[in-house]
Amino acid sequence: MKYAPPFQRTNGFLPVLLVFAVLLLLPVVVTETYARHTLILVFVYAVLASNWDLSLGYGGIVNFAHLGFFAIGLYGYAIFAKVIGVDPWLALLVTPVFAVAFAVLLAIPILRLEGIYVILVTIAATQLLLQIVVSQSTYTGGTSGMVLLPRLTIGDYKLSSDNRLGYYYLALALLTASTFFLYKIERSATGRAMKALRDNKYYAISRGVSEARTRLWTLGLSAIFPAFAGGFYGAYLRVASPDVFGLGFLTITLSVLLLGGIATIWGPLIAAIVVVGLSQLLADYGAWRNIVIALVIIGVVVVYPGGLFAALQEIWSGFDRAKTNLIAAYRRKTGAAARARAMGTSDQLLETRHGKVSVCDTHSGAQAIIFIHGNSSCKEVFRHQFDALRDQYRLVAFDLPGHGVSPNADPEKDYNVAAYAQIVRDLVDRLKLGNPIIFGWSLGGYVALEYAAAGNPISGLVMCGTSPIRTYPDDMPKGYIPSPHMELAGKRFHSPYEKGQYATHTIGMQKHSEPVLWQAVWRTDGQAREQAFAKLKTTDWQRQMSVIQGGKIPFAMINGPKDPFINHTYCARPEFGTDYAQTPILINGAGHAPFVEDPDAFTKAFLKLIEAF
Amino acid sequence: MAFDTFMFILMSGILLGGLYALMATGLAVVWTTLGVFNFAHGTFVMLGAYIAWQVTQSVAGGFGFMIAVVLSILVMFCLGFVLHFALIKPFERNQNVVLLAVISTLAAASIIENSVLLGWGPRDKQIAPPIGSKIDFFGASINTFDFVILGVALLTLFALAVFLRRTTMGRTLRAAAQNREAAELMGLNVPKLFAITLGISAATAALAGIFVGSLRFISPTFGADPLMKSLIVVILGGVARFTSPIYAAFVVGIAESFSAYFLGLYWSPALLFAMMIAVLLIKPEGLFGHRSKTL
Repeated sequence: MKYAPPFQRTNGFLPVLLVFAVLLLLPVVVTETYARHTLILVFVYAVLASNWDLSLGYGGIVNFAHLGFFAIGLYGYAIFAKVIGVDPWLALLVTPVFAVAFAVLLAIPILRLEGIYVILVTIAATQLLLQIVVSQSTYTGGTSGMVLLPRLTIGDYKLSSDNRLGYYYLALALLTASTFFLYKIERSATGRAMKALRDNKYYAISRGVSEARTRLWTLGLSAIFPAFAGGFYGAYLRVASPDVFGLGFLTITLSVLLLGGIATIWGPLIAAIVVVGLSQLLADYGAWRNIVIALVIIGVVVVYPGGLFAALQEIWSGFDRAKTNLIAAYRRKTGAAARARAMGTSDQLLETRHGKVSVCDTHSGAQAIIFIHGNSSCKEVFRHQFDALRDQYRLVAFDLPGHGVSPNADPEKDYNVAAYAQIVRDLVDRLKLGNPIIFGWSLGGYVALEYAAAGNPISGLVMCGTSPIRTYPDDMPKGYIPSPHMELAGKRFHSPYEKGQYATHTIGMQKHSEPVLWQAVWRTDGQAREQAFAKLKTTDWQRQMSVIQGGKIPFAMINGPKDPFINHTYCARPEFGTDYAQTPILINGAGHAPFVEDPDAFTKAFLKLIEAF
Repeated sequence: MAFDTFMFILMSGILLGGLYALMATGLAVVWTTLGVFNFAHGTFVMLGAYIAWQVTQSVAGGFGFMIAVVLSILVMFCLGFVLHFALIKPFERNQNVVLLAVISTLAAASIIENSVLLGWGPRDKQIAPPIGSKIDFFGASINTFDFVILGVALLTLFALAVFLRRTTMGRTLRAAAQNREAAELMGLNVPKLFAITLGISAATAALAGIFVGSLRFISPTFGADPLMKSLIVVILGGVARFTSPIYAAFVVGIAESFSAYFLGLYWSPALLFAMMIAVLLIKPEGLFGHRSKTL
């Protein structure tokens, strides 16, 4: 299932808008010619590297052809504008045609080859281009290159006037257009086909992706903007020299790409600023400049092979975790009274082996019921049950680590189903809950199953909004209905829009009717979402299944028929039925969270079940 | 064409072939053992030549040619050994190892090239050839030293082949190349063996560099050409056997010298690259090999 929200609804929207606005206004502050020159070069390298990334990172075709495309753009502009004498703007516009034609020619050998051979054939092809350029010195200037290429003008206004203001905005326009183009391609059907071929070639082919056609598209599309960049480079510097074929140019461009991080559109943009900035900063140091740049490249690929974009995401993730943790700490204090009113009892922080968790306990009653909430939620979802059942049972609910008002915990150790089950066990011991009945919702359902499967004391298990899984991942598409919102469940960074979508679709509530739950999605540690989802594969599903089918522990499922996630036909299979409920009990009209959507009907059904346990 | 001209072109092609064989074998050994292409190989050739040149200069004591050769080879072996740990070992477990090694070796090439530029300056240098005499070979007048180069190059390759096939050390190297996991399970220190491989590759590159440096001028940027030629040779010949790139080296050398004569200096590299692309299209495993990589 593809998940592709429009750009203005993703996380990247604000930063990109901000950067674009800064770049748009920068010439007001940066008036000096040399600084602007550096920025123009940054844009050129960013265009070249990010388009190279379309084939190298997204397409998985590790190739060195893009220097050739760039050179074709450069020499195409030079020959058309100077030797043939057409209008410079027209010359700039026609260059991509030749680059794409070259790309299509190159696609023929590339289709037959793999791995290092693709690198070598593209190196050979660019060197072949170099030899042609060098040998045709009447048209190309040979080894000494061409100088005094025609400049770009609008009417009588030279783009180089006003300290290169025109070239600055033309380069920025080129970068913007190229980035928009790449963004659209990446999210199109062709872009998904490219990534599918890269990640699992034979599976993609078996699903009807044509390898030849997709690779041809990948190369052809990624040739367009490098040629523009080359043509622009020629028009801007007014020089076309065979240096663009050299190892030096290759090293700089490749380092922009790798330093930024492959398979990211934005990475090369960041790296271009770093590499070109560094290279211009050290321009006076001659050979030392190249040595320093090369050392930086080696340092980054050794220490951080993911590149700067991955590093940026790590920083952002750290920031996000600190923020959510602060929100939790703040709400622990300020929201305590409101939460106590909702739940009828105040919560307290309890130490477990996976960090502190916030627990609500009604303290009175012989039989305990533990409620476990789902992904990106909080214990207050169960407040109607606390209200209705508090006189008959001892009720306990808690916020999972990284959720609600519990503090964040270690992503590696504490954010997974097994750790959550151990937290339940710790609470049972600390609060002396005896043999509790456990109710698990959604992800909490798996936690409840895991708790029972690990042999912990339990006298009954009710699951809601969870599909039993026999083998992972085979049963996931059977047990769940693929929906774009499933993608959100395991996504680390949510944009505000995505948070709203997730809240609406899991709980089926609007912002104003359920403010606490709405806030819970905002507070949830993104790492908790990502880790819990990613580590589903480490769970012992067979053992969980034996809890359901073993018949030793009373088990039943309560679902909402409108639940958009789970496959009701799958859940109603006889193999998951027990003496207490042959098929899942359905709360009419409810969705993924019947205990909030129709609390009375749910509580009645729930009570009937646990009384039978 | 006169017979002596033909002989002259043929002999210069064979001489080129011998040099290319020396360079390309180093590249091929690294490719088959470490599984990466070393883009710093050309700068190894260049640096080897510079070290030898320095040793023969009076500032450094003005040692003879032989001492220069031995010192240069030793230094380059050590450099190659060390560079393995800096350039390739850090990401040998990474799935993008081929690409990462490309960028790290390219960066190393940049460092070596610019360090040489800093240390020795941009001016061309030449190593004085130890033998200046010429001999008459089927009517063509050919430097005696050319024959020596050819002989030493072939002898070195033969010695390397014997080393890889007959000695315990060579056999462990081949074992590490053929099945890394099994070699490690047998207790071989694979990273060390890989480092030795890169060292041997750098040493043969140095020898080739000294020979090139005594035939032509050397400059900090002259590594690019040996690198490209080695790539062409390795692709053309394939790496199925130790000898595959050696045969291909002579094909390339002779093709180059004849095309330079008939097509001109500028078109001869174009022809070679076209040949390389054609071989990749028709027989990607190389002209002299099966589709597998072993030593």
